[in-house]
Amino acid sequence: MTVRATIVGAGGLGGPISLALAGTGIELTIVDPDVVELSNLHRQIQFTAVDLGAPKATRLAGSIVARGGVARGVVTRWVAEQADEISGDSDLIVDASDDPGTKFAVTDWAVANGRRYVIAAALRYGGNVMAGAPGVACYRCLFEEPADVPSCADAGVLGPVVGAIGGVAAAIALGLVQGDRTYAGSLLAFDDLRKVAEPRVVRYAPRPGCPACARAPISPLAAPPVRVAEGH
Amino acid sequence: MPTIRVPSALRTFTKGAADVEITAATVRDALAELERLHPGIGARLMVDGVVKPFIRIFVGADDIGELGGLDAKVSERDEISIIPAIAGGAGA
Repeated sequence: MTVRATIVGAGGLGGPISLALAGTGIELTIVDPDVVELSNLHRQIQFTAVDLGAPKATRLAGSIVARGGVARGVVTRWVAEQADEISGDSDLIVDASDDPGTKFAVTDWAVANGRRYVIAAALRYGGNVMAGAPGVACYRCLFEEPADVPSCADAGVLGPVVGAIGGVAAAIALGLVQGDRTYAGSLLAFDDLRKVAEPRVVRYAPRPGCPACARAPISPLAAPPVRVAEGH
Repeated sequence: MPTIRVPSALRTFTKGAADVEITAATVRDALAELERLHPGIGARLMVDGVVKPFIRIFVGADDIGELGGLDAKVSERDEISIIPAIAGGAGA
């Protein structure tokens, strides 16, 4: 059985997440509107100087194909209006964008369509990873609505942090597609990876009145656990 | 003494301190004490006495929403975590 996933964002988080998941045999759709810039290279190690000016989504997809994986790049911003077209065949969707509104849009679409999803973010020395699945509290239950919160462009991020947070997000995403719900409905908060590598794991209940959960299918569309390669 | 775990984004208010020990019996008291010790941080957490929607507060691993909200009791050994939404995906 083929497993498909959409990765929203091909930057510092999207790079390691995509490479890790593609290595297990998951077929990827990578979505990002941006091009590679010189300031990206120190932490977006999937790119080199020859990629400058090229679209991140297609370059990352090409890199995965060169490694024997299956991926396609879509050079656009992932928005709800195009979600069905871009991600309709995905079993899993991972948000690795730097935009609060996109994180909520991904959540809303995933919940409404009964998909597993991961929301990842990294900033300065830490980051958050939230795992979602049908039947548990969603990202909107947790943070309610987009806000003007700091992004990497505002506050910066340490290069190794995106690799670490991306690796955790990929591992949790892999667990979700295998049917492991250990972290479903949980947030893993890494405060300062220079000092403490262990996350704070917090669970939260569905929020009454959450508009995303109100649109969730009555019978969750959770697909049965699937087999993916676990190479060592 | 309960401890408040301050997220890195707000440590400019605490002179870099990650943990602030406070004397308080409830989360509401704890946040008021935090503001008294480090003026200005309270406005980043709450508006009109309500925690901002993109910030969540936990006692231990439990969301205060399940413990009575801001009136949730805290004990000597409790750790109160402030966890904000962040947006960075290192795209820029």
